[in-house]
Amino acid sequence: MALRSRPRNTRLVVISLVMMSLLTITLDYRGGQSGPFEVAGRATVAVVGALQNGVSKVVRPIGAFFSGIAHVASLQSENNKLKRQVADLQRRTAERVSLERENQRLLALAHLEQTLQLHGVTATVIGESVGNFEWSITINRGSSSGVKVDTPVVTGNGLVGHVIEVTPTTSKVQLIIDPSSAVAARLSSSGETGLLTGQRGKDLTMDLISVGAKVFPNEPVVTSGYQGGLYPPDIPVGFVSHVYQAPNDLTKLISVRPAVDFSSLEFVLVVTGGSSG
Amino acid sequence: MRRALGWTVVVLTALVLQSTVFAQIKLGGTKPELVYLVTIVLAFLEGPASGAVAGFGGGMAQDFLLNQPKGITALTLTLLGYGVGLLRQYVVTPSPILPVVLVGASTTVGVLFYGVVRFLLGFNPGALYLIKVAVLAGVYNAILTPLLFPPIRRVAKATRANKVFRW
Repeated sequence: MALRSRPRNTRLVVISLVMMSLLTITLDYRGGQSGPFEVAGRATVAVVGALQNGVSKVVRPIGAFFSGIAHVASLQSENNKLKRQVADLQRRTAERVSLERENQRLLALAHLEQTLQLHGVTATVIGESVGNFEWSITINRGSSSGVKVDTPVVTGNGLVGHVIEVTPTTSKVQLIIDPSSAVAARLSSSGETGLLTGQRGKDLTMDLISVGAKVFPNEPVVTSGYQGGLYPPDIPVGFVSHVYQAPNDLTKLISVRPAVDFSSLEFVLVVTGGSSG
Repeated sequence: MRRALGWTVVVLTALVLQSTVFAQIKLGGTKPELVYLVTIVLAFLEGPASGAVAGFGGGMAQDFLLNQPKGITALTLTLLGYGVGLLRQYVVTPSPILPVVLVGASTTVGVLFYGVVRFLLGFNPGALYLIKVAVLAGVYNAILTPLLFPPIRRVAKATRANKVFRW
């Protein structure tokens, strides 16, 4: 009897789980940012964030070691590179106090600080998105450091993205290369504005550029920072890598190579103070 | 209870590893799908009902870490766990390569299904990118199976209820 009823039980379990999944998808899809699942989501992020923080401290050198092997062809240069990396990482870990200064130095290099007067807190990247269809990072600063949802995040090289989820000690940052990210941007020479959207880790595309606009190869693209926008103006985003012009289109499409190397993000500046310049 | 606790630890470990260690060791730009791997292995060892439950729990945990409608991964992995558990009953080969092939192929099918559901909800992943990720994640998971199968089996065995089930 028990044996006969088992497949039916299993089927019941599976059907109820599928129904629960569908219900969750529907409720969450309709609930947007305020549904009960967002609260549960933040709790999960908090727990996993804490674990990521611990694990990333231990495994970052290990990860760097393995990626070194994968990327360097010759054994000798690989060895040297890894040594340099390990030394670099050790130095950085030891000098966490001087992290702020280091970041300031990078910012000064990029003339970001002088021209834009960005203020905020530095943060270490402790994890990446768990999925292959989402481009985000987890950083070790949260609401207790003044980080809020929609706060812009930059490095010395340029724009990284904005905060989409905050727990007291960690935050999740959506990268500008995520397909659902859109940044209002401006071409530095002509001043033409357009919308930059992420392309799954590849170069960003900039849309809505008028056909008559002059676009130069490798021309810098910066945030346009319109009134009420997410990002302060004039933060470097990337460089023009390609211009596409369909014969009958009313707008141009431009490919933009990001200024930031998203494969090796380590320290970021969370712009909590905004731009006073 | 012990079982739920053991599996929770396995799933949490998978999620943390995937977002830290494997974020840096990618295969052609793709991370492995460790929660898929855990679900498939558990379904393979414990049968369709356990596979479905483990898939639902693990999928839901992963969903809560993603910025998208929750439940898509849970739906995918519930069905995947059930399917693999069912399929397992009809395969009798004792070959040690079976779990590797099963994990690889099931991961690819699972990721494709996930991508399609996501597309239906208005998130277009791009067909080429979806296929690339599905194949690479399958290959990566298959490569990791010989490494991760033994510890998962140990946890499954250690926390298995004393009753003997015949699925």
